[in-house]
Amino acid sequence: MFFNSIDFAIFLPIIFILYWFVTNKNLKSQNLLIVISSYIFYGWWDWRFLSLILFSTIIDYLIGVRLSNQENQNKRKLLLWTSILVNLGFLGFFKYYNFFLDNFITAFSFFGTEINANSLNIILPVGISFYTFQTLSYTIDVYKQQLEPTKDFIAFSAFVSFFPQLVAGPIERATNLLPQFNKKRVFDNNKAIDGLHLILWGLFKKIVIADSCATYVNEIFSNYETMNSLTLILGAIYFTFQIYCDFSGYSDIAIGTSKLFGFSLIRNFNFPYFSRDISEFWRRWHISLSTWFRDYLYIPLGGSRGNKWNQVRNVFIIFIVSGFWHGANWTFIVWGTLNALYFLPILLTKNNRKNLDTVAKGKYLPTVKEFLQMSFTFGLTVLAWIFFRADSVLIAVKYIKNIFSFNFKRGIQYLSIERYAPELLILILLFIISEWSSREREHPFFGKWRHLKISLTILALVTLGVYSNVTDFIYFQF
Amino acid sequence: MKKFVTYTLSILVLTIGLVYLSDFIYTEVYTHFKPRNKLQYILKTKNENFDIVFIGSSRVANHIDTELFDSISNKKTINLGVEGAGLNDNLLQLKLLINSNHISNVFLQIDSNFESISPSNIAISEAMPFLKNKIIKNHIKKYFENFEKLEHIPFYRYAVNDPKIGFREFFFSIINKKPATNPNAGFTPKFGNKIPKTESSLPKLIRKENIILDEIIRICKINKISLTLYTSPYCSKIKTEDYIKKLINKFPNLINLSKGYNDRLFYDCGHLNNQGAKIFTNNLYNETKDK
Repeated sequence: MFFNSIDFAIFLPIIFILYWFVTNKNLKSQNLLIVISSYIFYGWWDWRFLSLILFSTIIDYLIGVRLSNQENQNKRKLLLWTSILVNLGFLGFFKYYNFFLDNFITAFSFFGTEINANSLNIILPVGISFYTFQTLSYTIDVYKQQLEPTKDFIAFSAFVSFFPQLVAGPIERATNLLPQFNKKRVFDNNKAIDGLHLILWGLFKKIVIADSCATYVNEIFSNYETMNSLTLILGAIYFTFQIYCDFSGYSDIAIGTSKLFGFSLIRNFNFPYFSRDISEFWRRWHISLSTWFRDYLYIPLGGSRGNKWNQVRNVFIIFIVSGFWHGANWTFIVWGTLNALYFLPILLTKNNRKNLDTVAKGKYLPTVKEFLQMSFTFGLTVLAWIFFRADSVLIAVKYIKNIFSFNFKRGIQYLSIERYAPELLILILLFIISEWSSREREHPFFGKWRHLKISLTILALVTLGVYSNVTDFIYFQF
Repeated sequence: MKKFVTYTLSILVLTIGLVYLSDFIYTEVYTHFKPRNKLQYILKTKNENFDIVFIGSSRVANHIDTELFDSISNKKTINLGVEGAGLNDNLLQLKLLINSNHISNVFLQIDSNFESISPSNIAISEAMPFLKNKIIKNHIKKYFENFEKLEHIPFYRYAVNDPKIGFREFFFSIINKKPATNPNAGFTPKFGNKIPKTESSLPKLIRKENIILDEIIRICKINKISLTLYTSPYCSKIKTEDYIKKLINKFPNLINLSKGYNDRLFYDCGHLNNQGAKIFTNNLYNETKDK
């Protein structure tokens, strides 16, 4: 079931009513309702893969319980590694089997040895990368004794499968989300209205901005060989906004939906394109994944401690693994490597924690220096996104090469697209202004003009939304 | 909870209100503003007398220079060719036109369009604002499983056809932007010469009958309109002979103008350029002036 579907528009109010009016007297019933509705939500896409979630839930629940009773350090380690191997084993098989097989075959054939092995026709279960990391965080935290393991299987199942964030995050930490399933939820009007606003803003980002950009991005990336430099630059910029609005739109709807049920999820995006350096960008982009890698990979590796070589190694490991997490393609690995290269000078000059506050806080406009810093960081990000979007590294390189051919003849080319042409640029500009004006909040619906802003957003959803060519959320494929 | 429910309901009411309002404004604009496509033009045309109406696809829109035809024939003609249109769309145009105008002759271009009985997406999208028109409604409703939704859910028809009748087209109608194809003149000349290297051919087999064409013939007969069928040329890279022969077997009166045009007279393989169109218009006049 997708957030931008009629099915979800019917599903959500039904679950909301059952949750607050039928099961509200009993915490266990509420949690059970969440589990059942989450399984329906996921099974709507493909019920067969529910067994994976259930299996993962049972394994990690049992390991958690055993860890709490186990004093022997070796046995505790064995339990931890069992959880890691089972979870990453599923992820590795479904997501990376064909990638490794193809690359082994290519590598061997390069040295003259032909290997006959058939790739498998594997369907990637939606959200596997997200819930795998979420359950892993539970086992690791219990192992480290930072979290008391739960004895309540229903609450644990609800934590693993919580439908608002099941298929595309935010990747929740057990330390934040699990205790919320053990506490009685009291309906909070303001929180629920705030949730509604987030859902509205998320839908606007997805249906109006991301899907409008997608039409152009698909056309431009499919025909990059015949496009001039200006169009290719616009194609990359459109993708930059498409991926941001697609993914942050999903996160907004997830966080907003959770608020309707009395839950608080962690913030996943914090206006990343207003970052003054790459380090700040990564503190603001896909925050739940960045912090996951920071806490469970980067810091255990030594983080920014140790000698320069170790620091460089750790930065490359975390960015390359992060790239590889997104998908089994060299394009993601190059994207990660490129970000590591961007990050390295900042780390080595110890400037990685320079811009911790919000840019131009309390002011209408940034300083010239801040503007230039944001533009430079944005430019670097746009360049990296080309690798993320392209079908292969070679295509990305050719795409960039064509940009630098400096062919600006024929203005903006849009091939056969008949939807908005210059209008999309105006729309993006208005979106940037709206984001800028609300950069110290979660959404733009605040202040005395909020009712007007809500009306205009709904009007834009109705008249500017893309409904003829509905696209899935990009991060479903990860 | 009461505050939240009231707030949610007010958002819902606002959304429904905006959906109705948008639908109303879009429909009013497409109905009352200056036409930007040929369907809108037909709907606005009332009590006119046309000696000849040319209908078909872009191979009519790009080939028949009505100004030239009018000057050499001394007749009042109109070119209603639409890019991407099929016989089904031509039938709808004809039904709408004869509903409030007088027509003496219809010139219908046929070629491989004989193989299709479905309406084109372009023509259907352009018809969506006018679902209250009984002729349009009866003509297109059988092609849509979701016709009830298109007809009754406000703004749904505009949302699912947004590339053609969405905000962009709505905005252009309001500011009265000149369309790429002038619906009044009808003729859309093409300039240049882009002949592809690869060869192709018209379909090998011909369908037994085309119920849409039969309907066009029937309507013309009932309304005492003379119907002339003709076929336009393709460039040398497309093999046409076999198919055209089969077409002539079915319609012995078909005026075959598919040959005798040099490749330099083409914009692309299926469309003549401006120079070719003028020659073709002259030839069509000469072939039909005594009929």
